[in-house]
Amino acid sequence: MKTDISKVRNIGISAHIDSGKTTLTERILFYTKRIHTIHDVKGKDGVGATMDSMELEKERGITIASAATFCEWNEHEVNIIDTPGHVDFTIEVERSLRVLDGAILVLCSVGGVQSQSITVDQQMKRYKVPCIAFINKCDRSGANPERVIVQLKEKLGHNAVALQMPMGLEIKFEGVIDLIKMKALYFDGSNGETVREEEIPSQYLEEANAKRDTMLDAISIFSDELTEALLEEKEITQAMIIEAVRKGTLTRELTPVMIGSAYKNKGVQPLLDGVNAFLPCPSDVENEALDTEENEKTVILSTDMKKPLVSFAFKLEDGQYGQLTYIRVYQGAINKGDTVINVRTGKKVKIGRLVRLHANHSEEIEMIPSGYIGAMFGIDCASGDTFTAPGLSLTMTSMYVPDPVISLAIVPKDNKSEMNMSKALNRFTKEDPTFKAHVDDETNETIISGMGELHLEVYVERMRREYNAEVSTGQPRVAYRETITQRADFNYTHKKQTGGSGQYGRIAGYIEPTDEGDFIFENDIKGGSIPTQYIPACEKGFKNCMAKGPLMEFPVTGVKITINDGASHSVDSSDMAFQAAARGAFLEGYRRATPVIHEPIMKVVVETPTEFQGTVMGTLNQRRGMIVGAQDEGVMCVIEAHLPLADMFGYSTVLRSSTQGKAQFTMEFSTYKQVPKNIAEELLKKAAENKKKAA
Amino acid sequence: MVKKEIFFPDPFKQMGENIPAAGGFGALTASAGIGKTAFLVRMSLSSLLRDNNILHISLNNPVEKVCLQYEEVFRNLAAQHKVKVSDQLWETILPNRFIMTFKAETFSAPKLEERVNDLTEQGIFFPRMIVLDGLPFDEAPRKTFTDLKSLARKHGVPIWFTVRTHRHAPPGPDGIPLPMLHVADLFEAIFELHAEGNDIRLQSVRK
Repeated sequence: MKTDISKVRNIGISAHIDSGKTTLTERILFYTKRIHTIHDVKGKDGVGATMDSMELEKERGITIASAATFCEWNEHEVNIIDTPGHVDFTIEVERSLRVLDGAILVLCSVGGVQSQSITVDQQMKRYKVPCIAFINKCDRSGANPERVIVQLKEKLGHNAVALQMPMGLEIKFEGVIDLIKMKALYFDGSNGETVREEEIPSQYLEEANAKRDTMLDAISIFSDELTEALLEEKEITQAMIIEAVRKGTLTRELTPVMIGSAYKNKGVQPLLDGVNAFLPCPSDVENEALDTEENEKTVILSTDMKKPLVSFAFKLEDGQYGQLTYIRVYQGAINKGDTVINVRTGKKVKIGRLVRLHANHSEEIEMIPSGYIGAMFGIDCASGDTFTAPGLSLTMTSMYVPDPVISLAIVPKDNKSEMNMSKALNRFTKEDPTFKAHVDDETNETIISGMGELHLEVYVERMRREYNAEVSTGQPRVAYRETITQRADFNYTHKKQTGGSGQYGRIAGYIEPTDEGDFIFENDIKGGSIPTQYIPACEKGFKNCMAKGPLMEFPVTGVKITINDGASHSVDSSDMAFQAAARGAFLEGYRRATPVIHEPIMKVVVETPTEFQGTVMGTLNQRRGMIVGAQDEGVMCVIEAHLPLADMFGYSTVLRSSTQGKAQFTMEFSTYKQVPKNIAEELLKKAAENKKKAA
Repeated sequence: MVKKEIFFPDPFKQMGENIPAAGGFGALTASAGIGKTAFLVRMSLSSLLRDNNILHISLNNPVEKVCLQYEEVFRNLAAQHKVKVSDQLWETILPNRFIMTFKAETFSAPKLEERVNDLTEQGIFFPRMIVLDGLPFDEAPRKTFTDLKSLARKHGVPIWFTVRTHRHAPPGPDGIPLPMLHVADLFEAIFELHAEGNDIRLQSVRK
């Protein structure tokens, strides 16, 4: 580990799906001699890229979990976290950007700024992470870096400044022109490992000069020396330019843009030079903690190793050697054997093993100094916990955890699977705060919730592979209700008098709908036709019927029962008899009271770019939705609708795919409403079939 | 099926024969605080109870506020006429109403047309009347109104506007409120609301 913190870079690589993050990381590791062979993400050799260590990742060719590694480039130590591109795994990006100092925003030169590019950009903004934009895949058909730079400006609002221009594009892509050095760069060798500098070919010279002028104009604002040199037509040195670009980048007022093709081994080494030159070292970044004893006053942390420890646990993995907690040290240092405090729990913990990570491998270290990321074994804690030296009252703000958007019911296939499923859920929910599991009180189903279908699919598959828990999944059951729509009389006699002690009770009265509560019982008995001591039993009998309605065994709501007559027997009447009578009376009255099924109606609010307003309204309309209104807010608009919960299953996927992932929605319970007749008939039919199967 | 009980007088009947037909414009004018929006909502409610689809456009108010305005006017009318209205009745008329809100500075007729087309082309909602609340007449150019007129004609709907007048500014020729002078010829009906003691009077300006 470097002692000179100015030569340390902690960077994340983030982007939309399939932009080339993992491929780029693979090349970085190769050129920095961290690995000796390049393997493709979904290569024919089946090995997979270094950072995709999970079997599922290799099989599917996607990054599921973020992976950390480190390397060295031109005397700088570069700690890298490669993150997933799918929004389903957004927590990995969130936690990585929380602890990193800089980032590379990878953009596909064909796809440009895509939906997850917008999300990761927002995440970088949230944590104020400076970034370099790398326009990748310039070898692909349709590559257009100029268009991507315009999108960076218009869609993401970046002050994007190109530091390079391509020499050829698509199949003719042969290298890049460095507008700072004004040299052409070619990448020779079987893996592009040798960077050859040449004079700019004549056909590109005019354009290169024009682009350099544009670049200098854009960055001069960050350097008085550069501005002066431009105005007075003095020599402009590379150092001046680099200093100006760095200054703009560190304050996030400028985004340097570099170009290449990681897959074709072009443009990666200059990008690494850019990381060293433009992205911050740990001491360039102002990190804050809150003083819990001073009303959460903000305290600026120092990278001084001599100061008391302040560190942040941002990821945990449960493994065979216990919990592995990824940690970023902001102030001081963590040494093996130290005693530190978990600020959230207040507990003291002794640090056992400390490691540094390279994908799924680790190497033992004695200490994690300030500005570095490492991991500790065997400490039980949660993501977002702050660890400090004893006596310190500082805590760090945690990362933002978005709410889940989709739920599934899961059913284990057998008892063994049930136990294993439970263990798996405990572990996964601990490791991933966006993955939640609970048992529904009403339906008794185990419900898992996550950020998307892929998210849940991956966990179900991991349950199967890692825990041998076979589960089946399905739509969560909707919590329907039953109620009545009109008043109906009842007059029921419960009689069992066949010899010996019998049972007798008669209850008369009426059942009617009410708005005033779920269940109201009124005693209107006159003249003691039902003895007072049996009235509570009557009420209990009626109330017990409310839990499972006669129609479909859904809870009954909005019912008022008034009893006004009855009869008892001096010997055979009892609490039990009147409870039974109440049950019979309830069934009798209920059937006559035109019972109906109610379904939960949700208030759904969709936020979407205005261009998709019509499409979104169409998706809501298709789901028996009643659109309340649409609120235009310039670039975005907000649509409010009321939809039955039963029709919301899978909506997040539909919304994403119909709006290129740019729309989001929230959903909350609004009210219960009567189910349309045809749906009620379907439900009744299904319930009858299920009963038959069960019988 | 819930029977829609029309429990308050039809405000359109009170307006006499001056109601614009499909493609026509109507205006409710008054100074601030008199109750233009409330009357507009009352007109909408009357139409909703008669199973007519209303597109309510509000400038500078959120959807939620417009919803609350409807609820308030509805409950007040029920209380005024001593009628107990069920939640079911309210639920029955809601699907006939669609609210759109815009910021006044970015509102335009072409934008509105696009939004209305989104609804009609997908069979989501076909308005029978449009009410437009909050358009600043003294700032809106004539073109806005001619474009809205084309929209009204295309969809075969009348559009009712609220027009804020200034308390101390006298009307123009023929009693036309000053903010409307440049577009008055486009309007088939102009009504003024003014306070008289505890009452609010509705009076036709354009005959």
